[in-house]
Amino acid sequence: MAKLDVEITVNSKKYNLKVGSQERLLDTIRKELKLTGTKEGCSVGECGACTVIVDDKAVNSCMILTAQVDGSEIITVEGLESKKGLSPLQKAFVEKQAIQCGFCTPGMLMSALALLKNNPRPNKEKIKTALEGNLCRCTGYQQIIEAVETAAKEWGV
Amino acid sequence: MKQENKQTISGRDFEKYFQVKNLKKALEIKAKYEDQILLIAGATDVLVENYEKLHEIKNWLDLSRVKELKFLEVKEDKLILGPLMTHYELKNSQRLKQKLPLLAKAAAAVGSPQIRAKGTIGGNICTSSPAGDTLSALLALDASFKLQSKIDSRLVKAEDFFLAPKRNGLKDNELLTQIEIPLYPEESLSFWAKIGRRKALVISTLNLALVLYFEQGLIKRAGVAVGSAAPTPIRLREVEELMLGKSLAELNYRELGEEVKKRVSPIDDIRGTKEYRENVVRDTMVNALKSIEKRREGGKNAD
Repeated sequence: MAKLDVEITVNSKKYNLKVGSQERLLDTIRKELKLTGTKEGCSVGECGACTVIVDDKAVNSCMILTAQVDGSEIITVEGLESKKGLSPLQKAFVEKQAIQCGFCTPGMLMSALALLKNNPRPNKEKIKTALEGNLCRCTGYQQIIEAVETAAKEWGV
Repeated sequence: MKQENKQTISGRDFEKYFQVKNLKKALEIKAKYEDQILLIAGATDVLVENYEKLHEIKNWLDLSRVKELKFLEVKEDKLILGPLMTHYELKNSQRLKQKLPLLAKAAAAVGSPQIRAKGTIGGNICTSSPAGDTLSALLALDASFKLQSKIDSRLVKAEDFFLAPKRNGLKDNELLTQIEIPLYPEESLSFWAKIGRRKALVISTLNLALVLYFEQGLIKRAGVAVGSAAPTPIRLREVEELMLGKSLAELNYRELGEEVKKRVSPIDDIRGTKEYRENVVRDTMVNALKSIEKRREGGKNAD
């Protein structure tokens, strides 16, 4: 069985992996790296639960082959927390009660982080657009949008 | 309960995965493997289409690193695009927004930020879905596609390229290497709309592109195309001709809407019925003309 050599940096840690062409980035993150914060929802790019950041852009990790991200910098939800505790974005989600069941939260956080890295002072429309690829079935969108606004306003990222 | 991911329990894997860095190599591989190799760029369509059967794909040709296929340039009276331009890049290109706002608008309506970040216009073209969001815009703008093989290349008009749902005129040894769109000197105004159940992440129930080029108040050129209303995205040349040489005031919007309606052949599916699509395509054409009229009166150049 052929395997490809792939080097990726995930949450500032370098990994050298051997992957099959059929391996999606989502599979690598969850099964190889055991970073199970990233969720598999629909598996076809509709729900955004598997969103991670690849080279500063939010992408669905179910729709990328790991072989395609060789050499990339990747951030998953585990990359938000530091020794100092939760990141300002995570704190805003907690404070605004932007979490109900929590399944969409890692993806929401990644989409929000990608936005704020690119545009630290987004208006509400920009926030909505940035989060449009993430579904929340507990329907807590309002709180999520407020959390991103709060994170941008009060703490910065 | 979530099932085990079948991709990883197949026990089989690929034979060849080519991650090429230049076009020459890509064309050589395509010439050798012809239809026995799967092309990927952004992979957003391919991975959905092949979910749970990725292990059945033996040979892969990954074009995502072919830098020479990622560009946007204006050459004389044409705007030329590399097929690897992502929807994100098109949506944010100041040059495209200025020269061809219609295409920038269509690219902005694709999927979600995550999909726009990876999905490419070349992928949208080669997937050839009747609902492909950028396709109606490309048809209305009179785009041509350069199809290249190891030995030669040819230019095919967008309206001759799409043959049936998800089928197109690419030969087994060819790759799409360039998208050419003519730029005209006249003042132009355009409209693009996507009808769907929500804004993001929907496959169009319908989409419509309209562009009008004015010379001294009269319509000198026109482009009309619709998506999700026939087996392929279609350009409506006959409707375009009805508008030529006239001013906006001379047009009967409702009649033109009816003319569009007459020429579509939509189907009933989960996104909408045939009847719904026929009526909405008519009304969307009327709205498109009204929108252009409003902006023309307002003296604004483009949407």
